[in-house]
Amino acid sequence: MEPSDLELVQRCQSGDMTAFEELVSRYHQKVYLVIVGLLRNRDDALEVAQETFLRAYRKIGSFQGGSSFYTWLYRIAVNIAIDSRRRQKRSPLDFRESMDGVLEEQDEVAKDPFADVHDKELREKLIAAINDLTPEHKAVIVLRTIEGLSYKDIGEILGCSEGTVMSRLHYARKKLQDKLRAFL
Amino acid sequence: MTHRKNLLKAALLFNLLIFLAAAWIQAADKNSQPVHVTIGTILAGNQNDEFDARLKGMEKQLKVMKYRSYRWLKEESQDVAWGGNGVFEIPGGRSLSVAPQEIRNNRIALKVRLTEGQKPIIDTTVRIPNKGNFILGGPPHEGGALVLSISASAQ
Amino acid sequence: MKHCDDIREFLGAWLDGELDPSEAEAVRLHVADCPACAEERRQLEKLQVAMKSVFSTEGERIAFEPFWHGVRSRIERNRPWHAELIEWLRSALEAPRLVWAVPAMIVVLIVALSLNSIWPSLKWWGQRNNYVAVESIDAHGRNVALLREDDTKTTVIWLYQNPEGENDTSEEPAQSGPTF
Repeated sequence: MEPSDLELVQRCQSGDMTAFEELVSRYHQKVYLVIVGLLRNRDDALEVAQETFLRAYRKIGSFQGGSSFYTWLYRIAVNIAIDSRRRQKRSPLDFRESMDGVLEEQDEVAKDPFADVHDKELREKLIAAINDLTPEHKAVIVLRTIEGLSYKDIGEILGCSEGTVMSRLHYARKKLQDKLRAFL
Repeated sequence: MTHRKNLLKAALLFNLLIFLAAAWIQAADKNSQPVHVTIGTILAGNQNDEFDARLKGMEKQLKVMKYRSYRWLKEESQDVAWGGNGVFEIPGGRSLSVAPQEIRNNRIALKVRLTEGQKPIIDTTVRIPNKGNFILGGPPHEGGALVLSISASAQ
Repeated sequence: MKHCDDIREFLGAWLDGELDPSEAEAVRLHVADCPACAEERRQLEKLQVAMKSVFSTEGERIAFEPFWHGVRSRIERNRPWHAELIEWLRSALEAPRLVWAVPAMIVVLIVALSLNSIWPSLKWWGQRNNYVAVESIDAHGRNVALLREDDTKTTVIWLYQNPEGENDTSEEPAQSGPTF
């Protein structure tokens, strides 16, 4: 039977590095996905993801089990990513330039040739619109869209109420909708 | 613990002793080498809140000036002979000359002059710790102010 | 909760399955009967699909081993220096311990005596204990401020823009010079 996250954390708190390695193995992909959604840059996301686990390792002694391990971990990840995003000098244009190659590589089976172009344009405009969101609004969008986390979990991660999560999501989606109405 | 491992550790310790002795001897002879002078040019401003990540090691030093943003512009180093003069180009048509005078108690005396074209802006003589630095700032540039970190190291 | 504006505020939460049953039922009934809100729902769903697609593009799998190696390196790099020293000393001074006691004492003594003349300050370009004696300043008529920062003992010589004696009629904002 696989040990629970809490059991691994307790072993880690006693100095068992293999337990921490197991935790990293369980969550590194998810943490990376969330951060890349927030930062829009793979290299930065990888840095921040590793930094997240470093901080988690340093603070593991303070984890009491009041929340689930993954919400505690995501909170660290989101905070670092938001700080990093605020300091980032890259413009949304840099991200679009780095994404161009990725978009071209995609195997998109188009039902009609114009749908392919239209979807591509929607994605480009969507990427730009997401980049224009504030870090807090982007965080709720990423956590809900990528991870499908509940409002309660998102609230725990971001340190706010479920009501705030709901209104941030509503605001963020409305902003995206307003910018992309012609494509939706 | 094997005999070979003991020998390796003895060798390491012996090498460390030799290195320290050599460094001590070298430290007594530093006056014959030129002074390595480095000028870091930074732009401080209030247009945004960005802090250039390349300046992370200088954060405490810079934050005292209470500007909102700091951007690294360039860094230039020269080896300047004692009694000689190193001239550094500073943005805005300015130039900085640094002349190491002497070293006493491991503190380097520098004569520093900042000019704008031909016009002198400031002349100062400072005594800085070997491998230390001081900040000279204030000349306006691009809506902000230039901050120069002047450091010197006697080899 | 019958007005369209009210409904639309809850549309996202309804699609996310986050409303309680009575609220969810009210939204469902309204959307079934209101073409405008039904269109709003369609747009939201299309937006959600597009967002999932965008995020999944960047979400390629990252290999665990190199990632773990990176995390491990950071942990090792960030180990406090005294923990590193203790571990090194422990391995260096393993039995027979007394054999290494004498050279270790000699090393410690030499390092202590040598530190001041060989390595008086720690970093080349950054923070250090750094008091500077300013022996003379000539600012050629300009105002100048001399400041010391306590933490790193850094000395700042700051030149103000306006030479002494000139009337300052410009409306420069307070931020034009530093406020120490």
